[in-house]
Amino acid sequence: MAFLGKIFTWWNGATIGTLLNSWRTGEKVGTDAQGNTYYRAKKTKEGARERRWVIYEGANDASRIPVEWHGWMHGSFDDVPESNLPPAKIWEVDYTPNATGTADAYRPAGALERGGKRAKATGDYEAWAPDS
Amino acid sequence: MPKLTVDGQELEVPEGATVLQACELAGKEIPRFCYHERLSIAGNCRMCLVEVKPGPPKPQASCALPAAEGQEIRTDSEMVKTAREGVMEFLLINHPLDCPICDQGGECDLQDQSMAYGRGATRYDANKRAVTEKYMGPLIKTVMTRCIHCTRCVRFSEEIAGVDEIGALYRGEDMQITTYLEQAAAHELSANVIDLCPVGALTSRPYAFEARPWELKKTLSIDVSDAVGANIRLDSRGREVMRALPRINDDVNEEWLSDKGRYQVDGLTKRRLDKVFMRKRGKLAESSWDEAFKAIAKAKPGKNVAAIAGDMVDCETMFAAKALLGAMGSKLLEGRQTGMDYDVSNLAAVNFNTTFAGIETADAILIVGSHVRWEAALVNARIRKAVKNGAQVFVVGPKWETTYPATFLGEDLSVLNRIPKALGDAMKKAERPAVILGGAALAQGALGAGLKLVDKFKLVKDGWNGFNVMHFSAARMGGLMLGYAQKNGMADVVKAKPKVVFSLGADEMDFEPFVDALKVYIGHHGDKGAHAADIILPAASYAEKDGTYVNTEGRVQFAEKAVFAPGDAREDWTILRALADALGVSVGFDSFAELQAAMIKAVPALGEEGLADFGDLPKADSKAKAEGTIAAYPIKDFYLTNPIARASATMQQCSAELIHGEELAEAAE
Repeated sequence: MAFLGKIFTWWNGATIGTLLNSWRTGEKVGTDAQGNTYYRAKKTKEGARERRWVIYEGANDASRIPVEWHGWMHGSFDDVPESNLPPAKIWEVDYTPNATGTADAYRPAGALERGGKRAKATGDYEAWAPDS
Repeated sequence: MPKLTVDGQELEVPEGATVLQACELAGKEIPRFCYHERLSIAGNCRMCLVEVKPGPPKPQASCALPAAEGQEIRTDSEMVKTAREGVMEFLLINHPLDCPICDQGGECDLQDQSMAYGRGATRYDANKRAVTEKYMGPLIKTVMTRCIHCTRCVRFSEEIAGVDEIGALYRGEDMQITTYLEQAAAHELSANVIDLCPVGALTSRPYAFEARPWELKKTLSIDVSDAVGANIRLDSRGREVMRALPRINDDVNEEWLSDKGRYQVDGLTKRRLDKVFMRKRGKLAESSWDEAFKAIAKAKPGKNVAAIAGDMVDCETMFAAKALLGAMGSKLLEGRQTGMDYDVSNLAAVNFNTTFAGIETADAILIVGSHVRWEAALVNARIRKAVKNGAQVFVVGPKWETTYPATFLGEDLSVLNRIPKALGDAMKKAERPAVILGGAALAQGALGAGLKLVDKFKLVKDGWNGFNVMHFSAARMGGLMLGYAQKNGMADVVKAKPKVVFSLGADEMDFEPFVDALKVYIGHHGDKGAHAADIILPAASYAEKDGTYVNTEGRVQFAEKAVFAPGDAREDWTILRALADALGVSVGFDSFAELQAAMIKAVPALGEEGLADFGDLPKADSKAKAEGTIAAYPIKDFYLTNPIARASATMQQCSAELIHGEELAEAAE
């Protein structure tokens, strides 16, 4: 089943072509806490930027790259995060997946998904009442 | 008439003009902060520097330099440019970079002029001066660090307002503008210093952080808080009027506005009538237009119907009501709510004939029964100008704090019969004598005795009419022109026992005598009138309808609609038009334009903006005698004279703090 899934879906992890290409031209650099695997190109042309990529463990969602690997992916530093960055602080919160496009996505008050009802406006004037 | 050249352009300027005025006549813009056309010359900001030959080889302050024959003035030379840049740099040394959080942003002279005449960047990296905060009352917000010491506010208080409330302490860089003892500026024109302040040092407290000038819609309107008819601009955003500012009109308000006219606008969003109400089993309950109209028709008033005009209604509303009553066969119209019954057969006798601009040139003024400071603050500023030019002022009535030297002749009106010597002498000597009769005198029936003074003091001369009556309701002159007056005032209306009484925003009248009548209140604020009414039809305030107003000097002025009325409220004339259908009569107009055309046909003077001509003064009745004493003036509290002001939180605060402040402090002790 996993094998068939690999052939016919593209939204979980790498496709067969990417896996093949990663095996042939890539060099594994490390894995983050979520199991995403990071690669870099074996060969880099003179003067060109080193190519770096990630194969996700599970859904292909760029927001799943954790902060420490985000810097490495974007070329902010070349060392692997484990050896480069200070240890995580206790106040750092865990990763929350990007909810866009899912049922958990944020809906503003009055959105149709939340019933389409807006809170009543308070009005920009004060009306008089007979018993005031 | 000195002849001089400005930037190579030759021109002749009037005698006594300054170099700055000469440059303006030549069409050159001279930047300035301290110079103001209506204030004395201070010459302390140095921004108006120009190059003048002959003279010392340095730039000179043009505002304080008299224009002289043969001067060669340059406003575009390198010297002038660098001089302006230098002055601007010095001014900005101690001016904070507050623009993004400053209320003056977008309408700031310093901002504009530093863009036009300043250097691109600063060379100053030391600390800026800081100034302690000052308290100037509930209307003026101060951020004195922004002050550039132009002293316009000080000069305004001393020269125009006539009170020594604002002044400067210390010298040089340490100078501070203050009210000395942290007291509130408590006179009626105090908020004008906000307009005068070229920077954001004095800004409007009620308007603080409410809006930016570029997001406001500007509508030309007329102030209805008193009978001066000051020209104002209503700045609105959405359906809310954010602020009122004076417009320049030298004939009416110059460029000032009374605090009430300026700050009552926040009352336009409070206590508003936005629904139809009907009294059911003794209690007012929500209703519908249809139901209310049916109830009025059911009362079958026939001819027994009266209309009482309020103090702030426009002529169109009054005319529409008159047309409605006329179609029903009634002429019971009255606007003098408090029961005054002076003779209005000749309107010249109840008009401010001298005009406001004219009263400035009077050289002897007798005020009978008018607290001018409260009834028409802007006219008081004019009288002060006359006094500064040497006029003598006499007042009959209880004492009030004048802003100029005045002789009080007591409260007894009989002094008009036996003129005291000092008054007689002053009037005899005067070339332009003037008499001002106020509401308190009219209520005592002193109009006849006042008219006798016309001959005695020779008030009417070639090109001069010194007989004046000062009203304090914006609707009064318009109402009188439209016939809103019974012979015996309100007493006649009461005697006629109308079945239906239309109250057009009349809140000061006594509803007690109309117990048996169906009282229909057509107005915009829930005040006394609404509480007494049987049916309330919500209408528009002055900001919410087009309308014609006539001020106390008979000046016809047109105001425009700034915002829409709230809720179910409609413009007054549409209500009266719909009522005509409900009552099965025809009033002869279906649109505002038709209504106006009909009104102008009936009273042609209302069609032309400007002074209405009421003809000559009537002959005085030789038997008329002034009797009685003036116990008090009609206005008890300057800040709370009309329903809008009474609803306004700002005006309530002003009243509590500035008028009843001492009582409150005593109560607290």
